Amino acid sequence: MLPVLGPPDAVGGPGDGDEEPISLYSSHRPRLRGRAGTAASTVSTLVVIALVALILASPAAAAFRNGFLNVHQMWIAFAGHPEKGILSVGKGFLVNIWLSLVCEAIVIVLALGLASLRLTKGPVLLPFRVLAIAYTDFARGVPVILVMLWVGFGVPSLSLAEVSTQSPIVYAGFVLVFAYTAYVAEVYRAGLMSVPRAQVQAARSLGLSSRATLSRVVLPQAVRNVLPALLNDFASLQKDTAIVSTLGVAEAVHSAQIAGGVEFNYSGFTIASLLFLAVTVPLTRYTDHVMARDRSRRLAGMA
Amino acid sequence: MHSRKSVVAAAVSLLALAGLPPAGAWGAGLTHAAVPLGSFGAPTSPYPSLASCRQTVQHETYSRGVLTVATDDPVYEPWFVNNTPSNGKGYESAVAYDVGSLLGFGHAQVKWVTEAFDSSYAPGPKRFDFDINEVSVTPDRSKVVSFSISYYATTQSIVALTSDAIAKHHSPAELRTYLYADQIGTTGLAYIYAQIHPTREPRIYNTLDEAVAALQTKQVDAIVVDTPDGQYMASSEVKNGVQVGQFPSTGEHYGLLFSKGNPLVPCVDSALTAMTNDGALAKLSKQYLGIYNSIPAIKP
Repeated sequence: MLPVLGPPDAVGGPGDGDEEPISLYSSHRPRLRGRAGTAASTVSTLVVIALVALILASPAAAAFRNGFLNVHQMWIAFAGHPEKGILSVGKGFLVNIWLSLVCEAIVIVLALGLASLRLTKGPVLLPFRVLAIAYTDFARGVPVILVMLWVGFGVPSLSLAEVSTQSPIVYAGFVLVFAYTAYVAEVYRAGLMSVPRAQVQAARSLGLSSRATLSRVVLPQAVRNVLPALLNDFASLQKDTAIVSTLGVAEAVHSAQIAGGVEFNYSGFTIASLLFLAVTVPLTRYTDHVMARDRSRRLAGMA
Repeated sequence: MHSRKSVVAAAVSLLALAGLPPAGAWGAGLTHAAVPLGSFGAPTSPYPSLASCRQTVQHETYSRGVLTVATDDPVYEPWFVNNTPSNGKGYESAVAYDVGSLLGFGHAQVKWVTEAFDSSYAPGPKRFDFDINEVSVTPDRSKVVSFSISYYATTQSIVALTSDAIAKHHSPAELRTYLYADQIGTTGLAYIYAQIHPTREPRIYNTLDEAVAALQTKQVDAIVVDTPDGQYMASSEVKNGVQVGQFPSTGEHYGLLFSKGNPLVPCVDSALTAMTNDGALAKLSKQYLGIYNSIPAIKP
């Protein structure tokens, strides 16, 4: 399922192919037809064939296949080989999975609080708003891997009783939450600001308290507007759990590195990539589906 | 970083230690058993003479007339000094220049390039003649690259806390009574099983860092790890740590890493053999590896 050059499926659009003008929000994009369509699919097919041929016909194709696509080596890396000191990439991947789930759950909550804080107006909360802005700038401005090294090596060296003796995975989780809360808070903020002011005015004039207005009127619309972006960040977080390997946590990438070092073969990286794809591709497809469904629902009343 | 990398590098000789039949490159690596004394030039030597090598190697190197040597960046003492491989100081730098000199490459004809451990075994042609980076020789690795004979034989050491009983009481009988920790699949763990035969099952961790944490918090009595890593652990990583002693070598060793089937290997082996026989390697070891040599020898 590669989204290359081919015409996108018009999901759920009842009037597929009608004469409506194309707009940014339309799901009824006309399909490429006739000569243009044939040319597009021919070109994309040729590009793929050329790339595969380039790899297969290279002077050291056999060495490449043995080094990166060796099924036996992939299996050793996937299952692990305790006698040789090879950790299982499959087991390591479970660490990536649960780490991303735990972090995502925390991020979702913290980010909403942060976004709400940044949208407050009162002078009392000004210092907190300034702090929130400073945090967001810092967390989004420094590469995650650097924060990981800072925290992973720095905190243990502080020799603080409880804080400095945690497992590396705790530091890793903290860093992922630290980095992603900033991103996700910005997504929420965009969502909250996208809700028209008239919605708030209408809710208030109906007698809803300001808290009820936020939780019953603004938030549901805001979250719906940014759901695809939230899922997108989740897929990104899921991949970034690989950075945990820098702290020596036995997750998929670290295990693949060990297998590579023991066997002098990179096929473990291939199997780790496939495992990540097995999760992120369905997630991205689901995101696409949610986006398309949402678009068609919103446009339903306009036809 | 150094510690972790070389741990991964060292974590692999277990098969050989476990007594599986040694592959060719492995068996040839025992420095004290490789070649009979005084055999240079003699027809019994398995390697070409240095004189004939000097004629041929100039045309066989990666870059004609230059010996291109790779290592990681950064590199550490005692293998290199000041992270500058080209200064000829440090054990590995000195070995590289001596090998080059025996094969007819002057100081100026030895060129250094950077190669990370993880990329040193990439399939296909290499950008160097050999890589010198504390790489342990194993049968599995020898399938993908070629190794020289040994230029350094590693030993296993015990690391403990100064307050632990094992720091003072470590006769072979006493060694059996302690609780050990180690990283899964390391040569140290293999050594515990094969040589120490402890009465209690060792604690096995996924990473060496976890084993160190267990030692630090007194959940275990000791860790067995190869001597260079143990020296680093005891001096820098473990608070109040001590390297109790090192065991006799079991044949685990570092070799120079070449692309598979590189024609230079026999000549480099010839140079290393000469350096073993005339005491040059021992002299460099005495000069640079004193911190390892001075660790008391103990018996399993």
